[in-house]
This record gives sequence, structure tokens and C-alpha cells, in this order.
Amino acid sequence: MQSEDYERKLARWIRLEEEARKIRRSEADWKFIEEQPARVKAALKYYVETGDIRTSSRMAEMSIDRFRKLLRQARIPVIV
Amino acid sequence: MSFAIADTCFLIDWSSWRRRNLLFRLFTTVFVPETVLREVESEDVVEWIAGSLASGNLSLFTETPDILGEARHLVERTRLIPRVRGVDIPEAVCLVAGRRRGYTVLTENRGALMAASLLEEYRGVKVWRALEIIYELLRRRLIPAESPAAVFKEYEKETGHIFPKGDLENAVRRL
Amino acid sequence: MTDIRGWLRLEEEARKIRRSEADWKFIEEQPARVKAALKYYVETGDLYVASRIAGLTVEGFNNLRKRAKIPNVI
Repeated sequence: MQSEDYERKLARWIRLEEEARKIRRSEADWKFIEEQPARVKAALKYYVETGDIRTSSRMAEMSIDRFRKLLRQARIPVIV
Repeated sequence: MSFAIADTCFLIDWSSWRRRNLLFRLFTTVFVPETVLREVESEDVVEWIAGSLASGNLSLFTETPDILGEARHLVERTRLIPRVRGVDIPEAVCLVAGRRRGYTVLTENRGALMAASLLEEYRGVKVWRALEIIYELLRRRLIPAESPAAVFKEYEKETGHIFPKGDLENAVRRL
Repeated sequence: MTDIRGWLRLEEEARKIRRSEADWKFIEEQPARVKAALKYYVETGDLYVASRIAGLTVEGFNNLRKRAKIPNVI
């Protein structure tokens, strides 16, 4: 059985993830995202929902640093 | 002075900041795993990394089979925790090196932060984001700043990285 | 036995030779990772790390080094 401390920490991380997701959704330049080719668009949307840059960059068939530049262009913040 | 080990996401964002070389005032050297180095392609980031390797501020960390084995195990363990971000090999290598060698792990990967917080054997690992590094630079007055908040804002603006509101407020308050 | 000052002097001499002999036009024309790796090699003479930066095998980078006319000074 997990301790109370573990449960409290887990709840906090889940809350932070949800807060970050809301910020990414609201800050993103959706016009820019919708104008992208299919794979890139899917990758950007995936990133908005998950914050998982590595999987997103693989989806977009880009290196992480190139995808990071794309995030800046799409005004999607990295929140950590 | 001590050692640190950095993952991809940290290096990519940090390298965009005008004060990036202040990092090397905090650590004897910052290790870069080979798996991390492989993930970097764009000219500005690679140039900074290569130049810092040449000066000894960064050092290459070659993963040994035992480290990779533990990293693989850590990747699997993080996938067992529901609703929590898993880690991938590059940041897992950093956490393993942090645990085994006492390196401070420099990361912007939420999964790595979670793993260090939730998994018992990694709780002793010091994991820093840019937030903690900038806090330390300000605390030691290595950045002369009238307004600590302005320094964090500068980082956010130049990198497109946003600090979580509560953590940022807490850091500024402690300064 | 060479002491540390002796080694540092030898390193500096080697670096000067690599800098002056290198084909800088060839280096500047390379893609980002390769260019950074060649420049790193000119400064340090460290073949292994340079090969990692370039994403090449050691042998592959060594062949590149020759094409860039950077001598291996030992």
C-alpha cells in the first residue's frame, strides 16, 4: 500500500500536469497549428495534450531541438 | 564545486539564454550523456555544446552497460505508474548517474521530476530545472539583479519556457 | 617524464598546428553537427568526442578529419 505522502505527491503532480495542459491549450497559436502538414499538426496537438516532447518530435519526424523551435513558432509554452 | 549531468530538454532551452554560461560557475563540469548528444541537431545548440565540450565546461558521459540496464529498468518502472509521465532512456540515464555518482540532474522533463519525487530509490537524487539553477545563481549573487523576478522573466522570454506559477512565486519570495 | 606544464605546452603547439593547417573553407561548408565536430577537433584533438558530436564512428570521423586537412598531431 502506498503511503499518504506518496499519494499526496502523486495528486500534486497530476494537478500540475492538468494546469500545464490548460495553459498550453490556451496559449497555442491554433491557426498556425491547423496550417501545418498532417504529421506536424498531429505532433503539435499531441504535445499540447501531453507535454511529451520526445514522442511529439518523433511523430513530426524532427529532432527534439527542431521541434522545440516549432513549439516557439506555434506559441506553445514548455511549462516545467 | 560538484558535478551535474544534463538531459536534452534542459540543454536545448538553456542554450537559448543569454546568460547560459553562468551554469559553469555552479559545477566543476556538466556531463552530457552520449544518448543526449545524439538528439541535438540544430546549429546554435550544437555549436554551444561543442564549444563548451572543448573548454571542459561540458564533458561527454559514455553510458556503461550497467547504467543502461538500470536506465531501461527505470523506464519500465515509470510506465507502471498510472497517470504519471514516463521517462525515456536519455533522462533515465541522467537519473541513474545522479543516483550512482551523486551528480545533480539538470532536466526540464516532467517525467524525470516525477520519478525523483515518487520512486524511493531516486528520492535522494538532486534534480534541478532552470528554475532551481537561476535561483542558485541569484542566491549566490552570480547574477547581479535588482529584481529576481525580472531575471526569471528574461529566461522565460528568451527560451519560450514558462515556470509553474507557484514554484516561481516561491523562488522569488525566498530570494 | 613530462610534467603538466610540458603537456600543456605540447597541447598548445598541437592546437596551433591544427588551426593553421585546417581547410576552413571545407569546414564551414559542412552541416551543423559535422562543422561543430571539426571545430571541436581542431581545438582539442579529441577524436572520440568529436566523432560523437558528428554522429559518426571514430573511423568515419577520422576520414573526415583527413578531408578537412586537419593533422593528427601526437
